[in-house]
Amino acid sequence: MSTDSRIITASVLPPPRSVGGIGGWIRVNLINTWYNIGLTTVFGFILVVALWYGLKWVFLDADWRVISTLGGRIIIGQYNVEAACPGRDCFWRPQAGLLLVTVLLGMAWSVSGGGLTKRIAVLFAGALVACAVLPYSLDKMGLDVRLLFAANVPALALGWVIARHTRLGTVSWIAVLAICTFLLILVLLRGIPGVPYLQPVSVLYWGGLTLNLLLAVAGIGLSLPIGIALALGRRSSLKVVNLVCVTFIESFRGVPLITLLFMSQVLVPLAFPENFPQNSLVRAAIVITLFSSAYMAENVRGGLQSLNPGQAEAARALGLPVWQTTLFISLPQALRNVIPAIVGQFISLFKDTSLVYIIGMLDVVEISRAFIQGNPEYLASAKEVFVFLAAVFWVFTFTMSHVSRRVEQHLGVGKR
Amino acid sequence: MTVSEETVGVEDIIVYKDVHKWFGNFHVLRGITTTIKRGEVVVVFGPSGSGKSTFIRTINRLEEHQRGDITVDGIAMTNDTRNIDTIRKDVGMVFQSFNLFPHLNVMSNITLAPTKVRKIPAKQAEMLAMELLERVGIPEQADKFPAELSGGQQQRVAIARALAMQPKIMLFDEPTSALDPEMIKEVLDVMNELASSGMTMIVVTHEMGFARGVADRMMMFDEGIIVEEGPPQQIFDAPKEERTKLFLSQIL
Repeated sequence: MSTDSRIITASVLPPPRSVGGIGGWIRVNLINTWYNIGLTTVFGFILVVALWYGLKWVFLDADWRVISTLGGRIIIGQYNVEAACPGRDCFWRPQAGLLLVTVLLGMAWSVSGGGLTKRIAVLFAGALVACAVLPYSLDKMGLDVRLLFAANVPALALGWVIARHTRLGTVSWIAVLAICTFLLILVLLRGIPGVPYLQPVSVLYWGGLTLNLLLAVAGIGLSLPIGIALALGRRSSLKVVNLVCVTFIESFRGVPLITLLFMSQVLVPLAFPENFPQNSLVRAAIVITLFSSAYMAENVRGGLQSLNPGQAEAARALGLPVWQTTLFISLPQALRNVIPAIVGQFISLFKDTSLVYIIGMLDVVEISRAFIQGNPEYLASAKEVFVFLAAVFWVFTFTMSHVSRRVEQHLGVGKR
Repeated sequence: MTVSEETVGVEDIIVYKDVHKWFGNFHVLRGITTTIKRGEVVVVFGPSGSGKSTFIRTINRLEEHQRGDITVDGIAMTNDTRNIDTIRKDVGMVFQSFNLFPHLNVMSNITLAPTKVRKIPAKQAEMLAMELLERVGIPEQADKFPAELSGGQQQRVAIARALAMQPKIMLFDEPTSALDPEMIKEVLDVMNELASSGMTMIVVTHEMGFARGVADRMMMFDEGIIVEEGPPQQIFDAPKEERTKLFLSQIL
């Protein structure tokens, strides 16, 4: 190497040592000043105490038997009581619904090729199979029910094989099948008059986590498209469309969901003839969906407003008509920009499904509360029940936000 | 892209008759009357706020004019959206800030309009896109996203995207103003090549080297009117108007 090149070439040095390693991180972030040493000590103490008592309670003091006593009621509420299902042999129907979901997850796993989808699929099927071996005291939790739970493993494999070896293994087919599965599950739960093993079960008896999830899936699936339509309508230059959308959004956002749910039960029936079929589940689903759509519309509108007007101009200059500009240029970018807000709304909607207790529906929280109240010997176990419910809700909402972060990474949000 | 000999410089492709435009109370175009012939390369320049950008944006109706008549390739510019859509198919535009679609890769940026508007089959549109990317010199960037490219590369993709619609006219609105100095040349080279292929081009720019080299005509805009127009030699060497002399002395 000549002397000259050493002068010209700028040397590339490794980063300084002090920022590397766990010790370095602690030095830089926790004990770099007297003030931070104080804070670290105080919060460290609080953390240790909370963990100590928390874990001690979870593993030693808590009596989790109440959860297995609640058993299938957590999943399906009063669906299988004598009044709902004479003969009490309806429990297989929600089970079969779960199997269909597992098949779908298996397909999604195969299409995505592993990663997060695989983990969700395995977690879902694994949790259901675990139910097969848990000690249950629910009446009718016989061998058949346990076998249906265990069948989730072959169902997962079946989905994987179907997606791998047939033409159904594409994202669009899975989306179509997901909608079909949802409708099929509704039919399965509701039953068909006159068909053996499928005697109708009134929606009044639907409950538990199934109720929360049905309302949430319907709400999530419908509130996004309705919200997009409302957001576009609110930006429309057509005065009538604009006025209708603004009125809708502002009235649904301006009233508490509980009030809307009450109104749906008390006021809506007045608008229909007396013998019109009353379906509180459908009414609740509609109210929750519309309520969420109003919020969704404002999220989407925020995304549309964040776009550079040059984007639409470039598309229009290329000859794309307004609707194609919206569909291919504006909406994809707008939605991508507001994924966190949209998923936040989804999570909020999922948690809000618990509010249907207000119109007498036994969602997973209400059925557990009612169980404790109706069985005084379990009053002492209320803590365990609610901690368990909190954990269940957390698993679902955390999965949702985790998936959304993955989607954001995949779409390169903040980079492109 | 080549135009047959008989039509070059013969047919009027853009005709402006006393065109006025207001932004609110601001009278931005104050009676533009001019004719641009097929195959002509016109450079539009002038101080900022003189209406030159607004002028070329009225050619594909990104801005609506309020008085006067505009005819583009024989089609009258009216409120009839069918006419506007027809004109836009045949008029490509390149923007100062590129305006590539950030959620689509380079290939999709180029093939979107041909497949959706011209209904060209995807395979064919992709072949055309690759040809155009080779023409602008960056075929290896087809699978990248706009944010992964340099400014000069982005602007060349934007040119390829406009050309993919096989337009009869290309509009350039300050195409090099947002670029770092070392990238201006690569974009101007593409524009030079395009001009020599016989494309009708209207270019708003202050790149006077480009104007002297390839422009057939130059238009000096000030305060919403065309102050002076003529071939580059005349504008540079013997400008008639004081305002043209003053402006050129400021930028050269």
